[in-house]
Order: sequence, then structure tokens, then C-alpha cells
Amino acid sequence: MSDYKLEVNHLKINYFTRKGTVDAVSEISFNLKEGETLGIVGESGCGKTTTVLGLMKMVSPPGKITGGEILLGGKDIIPLSENEMRKKVRWVKASMVFQGAMNCLTPVYTIEKQMMETIQEHKNIERLQAKKCIINYLNLVGLSEDIIRRYPHELSGGMKQRVVIATALFLEPEIVICDEPTTALDVVVQAQIINLIKRLKKKLGLSVIFITHDLATEAEVADRLVVMYAGKIVEIGTNEQIYGGKNSVHPYTQKLLMSTPRLHEKIKELSFIPGTPPDLIAPPSGCRFHPRCTEVMERCSKEGPPLIEIENEHWVACWRNRYV
Amino acid sequence: MKWIDIKTGLQEFWKELKEVKFGIAGLILLFIFILIVFINPYIVPFPEGSSRWRDIGYWVDNPRSVPPIWVNWFSSLKYAPSLTVHDYSISEEQIGGMKVKEVVFSYNYSYDIPPTDIIFHCHYQGSPVIIFSMERPDNEVIELIKKPLPLSEGEKIRVAIGRASKIEAYNFGSKFDREEDRISRDMVVPTKIFFSEAKVGIFRNPIPLKGVYKVTAMIILPGEDDRVEDAHISFLGSVSGLLGTDNSRRDIWSGIAAGVKWALIIGSLTAFISVSVGVIYGVTSAYLGGWQDALMQRIFEIFRSVPLLPLLIVMSAVFKPNIWALILMMCIFFWVGPVKTVRSIGLQIKEETFIEASRAFGASSSRIIFKHMVPLLIPYAFAMMALYIPGAILYEATISLLGLGDATVVTWGQILHDAMTGGAVLQGMWWWVVPPGLSIALVGMTFALIGFAMDKILHPKLRTR
Amino acid sequence: MYWKYCVGRILNGIVIYAILIFIFSTLFNATMEQTLTARIEEEVRAEMMSLDTRMTPEEVNRYIMERKADKYRLYRLDKPTWKRIIWRATNALTFNFGRATIIRSSAGETDVWTIISECIPRTILLFTTAIFINIILGLWLGLKKAQRAGGLMDKTTSIGTMIVYGMPSWWLGMIMIMFFVYTVKIFPSGGLHSMPPPVGWAYYIDLLHHMALPVLTLVVIGFWGGAFLTRNIVLGILQEDYIMAARARGIPERKVLYGHAMRTAAPPIVTMALLSLLASVGGNIIFEGIFSWPGLGNLYWIAIEQNDVPVLMGNLSITTALYIGGLVLLDLIYGFLDPRIKVGGKR
Repeated sequence: MSDYKLEVNHLKINYFTRKGTVDAVSEISFNLKEGETLGIVGESGCGKTTTVLGLMKMVSPPGKITGGEILLGGKDIIPLSENEMRKKVRWVKASMVFQGAMNCLTPVYTIEKQMMETIQEHKNIERLQAKKCIINYLNLVGLSEDIIRRYPHELSGGMKQRVVIATALFLEPEIVICDEPTTALDVVVQAQIINLIKRLKKKLGLSVIFITHDLATEAEVADRLVVMYAGKIVEIGTNEQIYGGKNSVHPYTQKLLMSTPRLHEKIKELSFIPGTPPDLIAPPSGCRFHPRCTEVMERCSKEGPPLIEIENEHWVACWRNRYV
Repeated sequence: MKWIDIKTGLQEFWKELKEVKFGIAGLILLFIFILIVFINPYIVPFPEGSSRWRDIGYWVDNPRSVPPIWVNWFSSLKYAPSLTVHDYSISEEQIGGMKVKEVVFSYNYSYDIPPTDIIFHCHYQGSPVIIFSMERPDNEVIELIKKPLPLSEGEKIRVAIGRASKIEAYNFGSKFDREEDRISRDMVVPTKIFFSEAKVGIFRNPIPLKGVYKVTAMIILPGEDDRVEDAHISFLGSVSGLLGTDNSRRDIWSGIAAGVKWALIIGSLTAFISVSVGVIYGVTSAYLGGWQDALMQRIFEIFRSVPLLPLLIVMSAVFKPNIWALILMMCIFFWVGPVKTVRSIGLQIKEETFIEASRAFGASSSRIIFKHMVPLLIPYAFAMMALYIPGAILYEATISLLGLGDATVVTWGQILHDAMTGGAVLQGMWWWVVPPGLSIALVGMTFALIGFAMDKILHPKLRTR
Repeated sequence: MYWKYCVGRILNGIVIYAILIFIFSTLFNATMEQTLTARIEEEVRAEMMSLDTRMTPEEVNRYIMERKADKYRLYRLDKPTWKRIIWRATNALTFNFGRATIIRSSAGETDVWTIISECIPRTILLFTTAIFINIILGLWLGLKKAQRAGGLMDKTTSIGTMIVYGMPSWWLGMIMIMFFVYTVKIFPSGGLHSMPPPVGWAYYIDLLHHMALPVLTLVVIGFWGGAFLTRNIVLGILQEDYIMAARARGIPERKVLYGHAMRTAAPPIVTMALLSLLASVGGNIIFEGIFSWPGLGNLYWIAIEQNDVPVLMGNLSITTALYIGGLVLLDLIYGFLDPRIKVGGKR
């Protein structure tokens, strides 16, 4: 149990809105091993960001964690108070690289001030040493020292993202969560950032959770994948298991893979998944994917399928799955 | 072409507005104000108050500068309200060939503060002479004035018995008060003496004498055809009306109600015109871009750098405008308000693909501006208009307060101007000062509620769950 | 970068001021000249009184004609209209406003500029004090409201904002006077200080005593708007991603609120605060009059009553200058607070 850096069991997160209660994250369980990169993929609104916000206990109101446990290093963090979270967990045990780094840095403070503030909040070291640490990490992400005097608006998107990554790393947390870190960037910069993350991963031995909706990126970065749909996990597997595609995988995952055009294939039509993601205030009965599934059976609308291990480390939640 | 877009914009905005509670409060208030404008003749005692505000004759039977009637509910001393007595007992005599009619009116006085005046009205013919006297509950009889009426074929006349009888009042009072306690003859208020107990201190500390008073008018009719008809007496109260009266005897409630109409007109006209111009200006400037945009912005900056009220004041002092010219002057400067925000929104809209598409289809600039860009700004424009109305009303009130406004129009500012020049503040005539300003504030609050409710809708980020 | 911006804004302000003075001169040319010709008549008449009485009527008439022509030349009334306007405008730009017809300065001088410049510091004293208090109160309350947004205090204070939104400050002044001066006799009814003014410490206390009621009135009306604004701006900022990011980094809430949020909110708050301040310049004119506070606003009152056109014009020019000065100051402060302007764009 304790060789997992992170263990999530039956996590439930709901949003209590005026229109109804949104079942955003519905009893999901997964874990993260040391030194591993776990990818979470899914459509917009499937619950990926809510899940990781939950990991930091930063779900914004009216959302609340309503069940389950999150074990960081063996200890459940859900019962911890806000103060304890702030002092002991956030940034110390787990840090986050946010979606849309465009807007993640306070526009009126210099880079130095923001990074210095973060370090000094958690570590009792003096300015000079802190500054050295900051510059060290900035260099690590490929930025020069004079960045620290700049304001966020003076930096390009890629540079800002690097700063955010450096900030996420310099307290040497156990887990780094990257929530779509490259989505807002152009393709060239995307490639740079991904290479950077891969390098750092190796160099610092990071355990990373990497969220994206782009399967191609996921393939490059992740060791294992979690596929989410409508607040539920539909499949967990290693890179080969999912991308390899020999064994049966969840219909949703299959469709996701199919809708990514490949460079070496001739495609007449782009395939896509018909329909739209469901309303989570009143989600579909049984398997939440069944209204859009091409292989739907009668049982799918009645009972929600459990996650079953169909081969080593390969879990699928589908009534059609076949044992290997 | 454009009406349908406006209509859809309006419908959407109406749906959203209904959800915000204080917006509804604002709308209810607005409804009340508009209602007042329409039912004005039915709710005020002086329906022609608005048009005849400066006509002294219209107000002549009101007391001067008295507080509202409901003061009696809060005061331990009771004020006498206005009362007109039509009933009288009449006896006729012939004295030396002339007809003499004695007309006696009864008045039951049970108050602490006496009426401010006693007015005798009649319709007469010829040249009768009327001698007035009053019998008090303590059986003292006071001889009041003798009034010969000017020869006439037939007309109405009013005689202010009370005011005119200063000497008689003074003499009466002197009988009871000590020499040193008397006040000068000019300072005497007759009714205060008439209705007070006949004893020491009648001048300075009068004690009210309650009971039935009889006012007698002895009418001497010298000529054969001399006639006096339809005699009645008004006791002008020491309180009057819903909001009291001012120093020109005008019923203030009638004035306030009349002012509602003008406040709404001035406010909405100015707001509507200036916001419309401002929005169109901003959008056009954003759309045109380039040197045209730069030029328009320069012009805008010049207008924006003017301290509006001082300029309005000086222009009003020099050119003495009427109300419509004043509205025009306000519009000339108010339009700058929305321009900056509208322009930045316009710049964003301009980048949208559908604008590019319209241009590709060959749509003309004016069509793009008016059909595609402006309708998107209609909710914002309405919010702006609502928030501008109080400003316009305030400006007009300020100009009127200085005496530079249009005196032919009854606005709350005019009433306040009269209050100031009439020394209301010094004399503590709160009923004159509070209502007009409070009305301005209430109308301001109404539109603030509506405007901020709209604003809240437009910025859902500020909604708290 | 910032210096260039400053200089640019200041120059811009000066140019706009000049343009406005020209416009004013054109607009009010006719009235000014009316006053001028009237005064010339008077002056010549006065001169005539002290003439040698032995001159014949024709000689007298000729003398009058000559003197008038001289004066007309002196005041450029013989030149074409546009030249007259330019001359008047340039005078105004150099703060040479001529002489007042009736109003006198405290030393009895007639120079309009002297009269006006006496009034400026008094206006500034009163309104700067009130603004200062309003800003502090507004910021404090606005922040509290943003922290407990949607709560009871938030809602009730918002109602307060609505109530005073359309309320004339001068009317509230009247009410305050009626209550605090005549009913509960705490404060004096107006003016700068008592007559005769006390000396030493007592002078300042007396001044404060006279300032108290006007400042109180201005504050009662003024701070709600600032609170409402601050609350909205801060609330908007609190929804931004970088606030969430700061919290995720473990920054304590106090620092997030007062540091990250308030600091980012500073530019728009300052802008709105100063703008609403400038907008209230108008109402304050009347306001001074109600309290007989001898500042620029009160001067408008007197000038209108006495129909002293040169003072009116001069006052308008100075008011405009102060107003534009305020706008430029606003730009400068904003530029200083917002690093996007202070430091400039991308490298």
C-alpha cells in the first residue's frame, strides 16, 4: 500500500448548484506509483480538473468533496483543516501546474516576488539562499536569471509556463500535477514544454499526474493512463495496453483513439463520437456512456459496470469486456 | 430591420431583470412614479398646480408657510387645520332706511395653535359695508375691521379679516397684558391673540382659549339693489395639506406631484439621447479604426475634459435657456460617458469572425455597425441609461437651485430654489426642504436599483451564490 | 518608459486645456464684450466728471469720443472678431482674466486672478479632506463586503448605495444644517471661521469646527460608491486564475487578499474613485454655497448673483484647469500602479 505515492479511493465530489446537485466525480479510484507519470484523459467536463482540484482540496464552491479518501503518503488528507492543507500539503507534498498559465501569475508582482513569496512561505531560509534556489530552478527549465525582474505580461506564453513549472518544482514536492499545461500554447512551444517535462521527470525522479484531452501528448508523456468519462473512470491501463489496441478496450477509449488522425494512414473521413457529454445533474442510468455507445446492450442502461481487471494492471468498466 | 433586434434584446433583458430582487423593487417604484404622473389630477388638491404654480391668485386661500396636517399626530400641541364654514344664521333689520343683515358663523376651536387667518368670501352687488366682530367663548366681543366694498355690478370678494385686524388685536391684548410685556404693534399676529385666553401673558405666552367662537358679519346694504350672497368663512389653518405650504401659499404636495412628470421627462430624455449617441459613437469609432478612430477619440477627449456642471452653470447664467435648451445642453456633454467602455467592447466584437464574414458578403459599414454590433450593446446601453437618469435630474435641480433654471416649469429644483430664497432653512421649514430633495433621492434610488440590477445581470461573475 | 508616458499625458492635458479655452472664449465672447463696453462707458463717464468744466459741449463730446476710441483700442474692440477671441483666449491661458466688475478680494483688489486664487486653497482643503476619508472608508468597507459577498452586510450596504445614488449633496447639506445647526446647535452655520477669527491653536480648532459639518455631509454621501466599486472589482479579481494559483501555492488568505488581490485591484479602483471625484466637482459648487464656504464653488454663487461676468469666466477657466489637471493626475497614478504601463510591453 505505501509504495503508492497517491491513492484515491471512491472519491466523490458534488457541486451543489441552484439548478441541482452535479455529480461531478462519482466514486473514482486510482493510484500513482513513485516515479510514474499517470495520465488522465477525457472530454471537457468529464471531471479531470475537478478531480485534481480535489487532490489539493481546492474545489471551488459550491463544490464539495462528499466521500472517499485521498491518501498522500499513506495519510488521508480529506479530514485535514484548511490551515494544515496550506502549511503541510499544498506545494510541499503536491504542487500543480495550472491550465492556462496565461493567467496564473499575478500581474502586478514581479516573477522574483511571487517565487520568493512561495518559498519563504514554506521554508525558513534567508533571501539570498532562496534567490539562488529560484535561479537554479529557472535555469533548469531553460530560463535565464534576468527573468526574475520581469512582470508576467512581459513574458511570452511559453516562458510563463516554464516559470510556473519551475515554481511547481522548487519545493521538491512528492507529486506534481499538470493540468493541461500545453493546451494554451502553440505547437512549437508545446513540443518544447513536453520535452522539458520529460527531461525533468527523469532528472528529478518526479511522480506526475498529467491531464490532457490530447491523446497524442498523453502517449508521449504518460506511463499509465486513466480514461474518464462523465465523472467516472472507464479504463485504466499502461501505454501499450491502451495504444496497442490488441485487447478489447472500452468503446469510448476506442472512439477516442479513432478520432485522432494518424500521419501514416489514409483517412477518408474523420471519425467522431456522436452526441454530447451528459448532464451530470441527471446522468444517464447504468453506464453513463450508453446513449452514445455503438456497442450498447440492454444491460448497459440498467446497471453501471464496475472496473474489472482484465489483465495485469489493465482495468475496464464495460459489460462487453472479454477476459484475456 | 433594426426593430426586431431591439425587441429581442429587450425581451432577453426583461427576462433576466425579473430574477434580481432589487431590480424588481426598482421597477415597482418606477411604476408608482409613472402612475403618479397619470393620476395626478385625482390625488392632489390643486390639479392645476403645475401650470399655475406662479399664479398667486390660484393659491390665495391657502395659509402661508405652514407645516403638514399630520404633524398633529406627533405633536402634543394640536394645530388647527383649515376649515370653511358655510352655515350661518342670519337676521335682518332695517335701520334708517337701509337693510342690515347680520350673518353669524360658528367655529368650534379645540386646538392649541390657532388658525393663521380668517377669510370672508361673498358674492356681492352694489357697495355694501361689512363690519366684522367676533364673540369668544369667554363672552368677550372683539370689534374687528370695517370693510366698505367697492362699487360693483357683481363680483366675488375676499376679505382677510384676521390679518387686517392688527390694531384691534393689539388694543384687545393691551387690556390684559402688563405694559412691559407688550410687543410692538407690527409684531402682533391677530389670530394668536383672538384665540387665546384673555389674561396676563397674552402677547408672549398665549394660552389657547377653546370653545365656540362666533364671527359676525354685519352687512349694511345702502342701495336698493345691493346684494350679498353665498357668504362663507375660511379659517386658514396652522397646518395644511399633505406636505404643508410654502411662503407663497402653494400646497407643496401639489408641487411635488407635478415635479414627478418633469423629473421623468428630463431624466429619460437626456439619458436616452446621450447614451444612444455615445454607444453609436463608440461602436463606430471602434469599427472604423485607423485615423478615423484616432480623430474621434481626440474629439471625445476634448469633450470629456470639460467640468460639466460649472460649464452648464455659466452657460445657463449667460444664455438663460428654457428647459428644452437645458436638456440639449446636457445631452451635448453626457454622451461621452459610455464611449470608452463601448469602444473596447466594440473592438472585441470587431475581431469576431461573423463581422469578417459580413464584410465578405459585402455588407456596408453602417449595416454592420447597426445590425450586428449595436444590438449586442443594447443591454449595456439600458443599464447605462438607467444609471444616467438620476444624474440628469440632479443637474437640472442644481441649475434650478441657482435660479438659472426655467422658472415656467415646476421641478423639484425650482421648489428648492424657492425654499432657499424664502429662507426655509433658517426658519426650520423642514416640510419645504425635505420633500423635494427626498423625491430627487427617491427617483435616483429607483433608477439606481434598476440600473445596478441590470449591471449585475451583465456581469454574472459578480453574482454570489 | 514611464517618463515618456507622463510627459505625453501632461502635454496632452495642456493642449486640451488650450483648445477648451479657445472654445470658451468664442462661446462667451459676446457676453464678455458686453461687460467690457459697459465698463468703458462707466470709466469714461467717471473721467468726464473730473473734467475741466469750462469746456464747451462740443469739446466735451469730442473728448468722450476720443477716450472711448482709446479704450476700444486698448481692449482690441476695434479689431475683427476672431482677433478679439484669440487675444482673449491667450489672456486666459496666461491667467490674465481682467478685472471684476463688483466682486472684490479680501484685500479689496479687483484683479480676477487674485480673487480666484484666494478661493482655490479653501476648496482644496475641504474636498481633499473629504475625499481622503471617503477613500479610506470606501476601501475598508468594500473589502469587507467582498469577503462576505452576498451576506447581510453586503446587501444592506448596497441598499445604502442606492439610496444616496441620486441624492443631491447640497440638499443633504441643507438638511444637516437644519438639524445640526438650528435644532441641535452643535455646528456653525457656515463660513470658514468665526468672526473675528481666533488666533493660535484656537484658530485651527475653529477651522475644524467649521469644516466638520460639510465634510460629514460629503462623507455620508460619498463613501458608499467607493465601497460598492471596490467590492465589485475585488470580487471580480478573486475569481481570476492567479488568485487560485496563489492559494494553491499555500499563500495565506490574508496575503492573497491584501497583497495579490488588492494590489491588482488598485489601478481600476483608483481610476473609478478619481473619476467619480471629478464628476462630483459640479455638485460641490452648490455645496460650498450652502455652507458659505468661501471656495471656488461659492464664488460661482456670488458671481451669478452679482452678475460679475469676468469672475465667472475666470472661475470657469480655473475650474477647467483643475479638472483637466485631475484627469492627468489620474492617468499618471494609474500608469504608476499598473506595471503593464509602468514597465511597458513585451521584450
